[in-house]
Amino acid sequence: MTASHARRIGSVLGLLVAWQLLIQTGKLSELFLPAPLSVLATMWDMTRSGQLPWAVLVSLNRVVQGFVYGAAAGVFLGLLAGAVAWIDDLLDPWVAAVYPIPKSALFPLFLLWFGLGDPSKIATIAIGVLFLVLVNTMAGVKSINPVLLKAARDLGAGRLQVFSKVILPGALPSIFTGLRLGAGMALILVFITEIEATKAGLGFLLWEAFQLLDTKQVFAGVVTFGLLGVASTWLLQWLERVGCPWIQRSN
Amino acid sequence: MLLALRDVGKVWLITRTGERVSALESITLDVAPGEFLILLGPSGCGKSTLLQIIAGLEAPSSGEIRFPPVTPGAAANGKLTSMVFQDYALFPWRTVMGNIVFGPEVRSVPRALREDRARRLIELVNLKGAEHRYPHELSGGMRQRVALARALANDPQIVLFDEPLAALDAQTRRVLQDELLRIWGETGKTFVYVTHSLQEAVLLGSRIVLMTAHPGRIKLLVDVPLARPRHLTGRAEAEMLDRLDAELTEEVKRAMAT
Repeated sequence: MTASHARRIGSVLGLLVAWQLLIQTGKLSELFLPAPLSVLATMWDMTRSGQLPWAVLVSLNRVVQGFVYGAAAGVFLGLLAGAVAWIDDLLDPWVAAVYPIPKSALFPLFLLWFGLGDPSKIATIAIGVLFLVLVNTMAGVKSINPVLLKAARDLGAGRLQVFSKVILPGALPSIFTGLRLGAGMALILVFITEIEATKAGLGFLLWEAFQLLDTKQVFAGVVTFGLLGVASTWLLQWLERVGCPWIQRSN
Repeated sequence: MLLALRDVGKVWLITRTGERVSALESITLDVAPGEFLILLGPSGCGKSTLLQIIAGLEAPSSGEIRFPPVTPGAAANGKLTSMVFQDYALFPWRTVMGNIVFGPEVRSVPRALREDRARRLIELVNLKGAEHRYPHELSGGMRQRVALARALANDPQIVLFDEPLAALDAQTRRVLQDELLRIWGETGKTFVYVTHSLQEAVLLGSRIVLMTAHPGRIKLLVDVPLARPRHLTGRAEAEMLDRLDAELTEEVKRAMAT
């Protein structure tokens, strides 16, 4: 273990111990800031009762569906726009107009159109993911060195082959950047869409606990969201390592 | 004759100003089989453009290119030209092997056949052991070897070089110049080679096309009948250098004045 590792672990453990001590000595009230061990105990209880796993499952179902639909559409349209100039022209004004809108602002509209169930939430998440993936995919295609396209044509590649063997792999690193940003966006949006007009999910659990002033459960929800974020980052980093083995990485 | 250029011209339109710039004018040139033809000239003389026109990557604005009637066998397997680019233009996501098989792959040569061909080419350009490395794991000299092997993999009749050694250091360049000559000899291919280096032209070429700038025209066609291996310090080589140097200097001055 290096000194750097020791410092990282020390930083986390030190803060957690100090936090626990502050509460046990009565300097802080658990109503505002529950101790780490209480949060852990609450999470354990909620897991045993099935409450937390169920909430995670419900939310994950929305996140994964929204992410997959949004990412697939984003990659598809982004590659198409990057490769075909007139599609880029058709798409560009819409991207410029919709990209800056906070996608949570579209949720009320989707509630109106798709009702109170899962579809409105999934649509909101999908739209949020779509634009991030789309914009990054388009940037990835445009970043490809034009000499590579020339070389491919010189070697005898047709239009479809240039697309599948040069444009797609050339844009892949940027696509992964878009997917990582999209995963973060999906978690933000699932929380927002679960605050209102729903009866299940991690966001619902967290918000309900807040309204009951059950700070321990609020923390349990926050920590679980954090764990989901870490897990999605790991998963995408692993996918990127498998998908783009040629990229130079430090360490 | 492998290839004939007749009165080829190229005009660029500068969209911003609406200007028309003549990059090439009345280029008439025959490429003979097996020769090492050098296109020599100052920057901006259109020699790279000429190469792209020969490769079919750019269309000429005027004139025509005549290719000889291709024999049925050659049409199925080979390609008339293949280009080696100045900045290598290797696909970063493909290994050395993956880059070399790209041409045969997109031309639907069966896998076993194209990999076998690639392995022989890897030996020819001295890259054994580096087959599974990615381009970023190679030195500049090795990358240019990969680019050459990739161009040869399509079994072209003419290999086109666009200042392939310009980005390399002097030592590596010397080594690769010798390798190019060896490969030219071993493969019997026709090389058309763009450079702005007089020394390189005299070391490598069997014929030199000296070009003028603005617009790019052929100023002089010189046969280089010197024996190989050549040395820049040899008497005959030095004389040739002096002669071409005078012509080229005049051209550079003229180009800078306009």
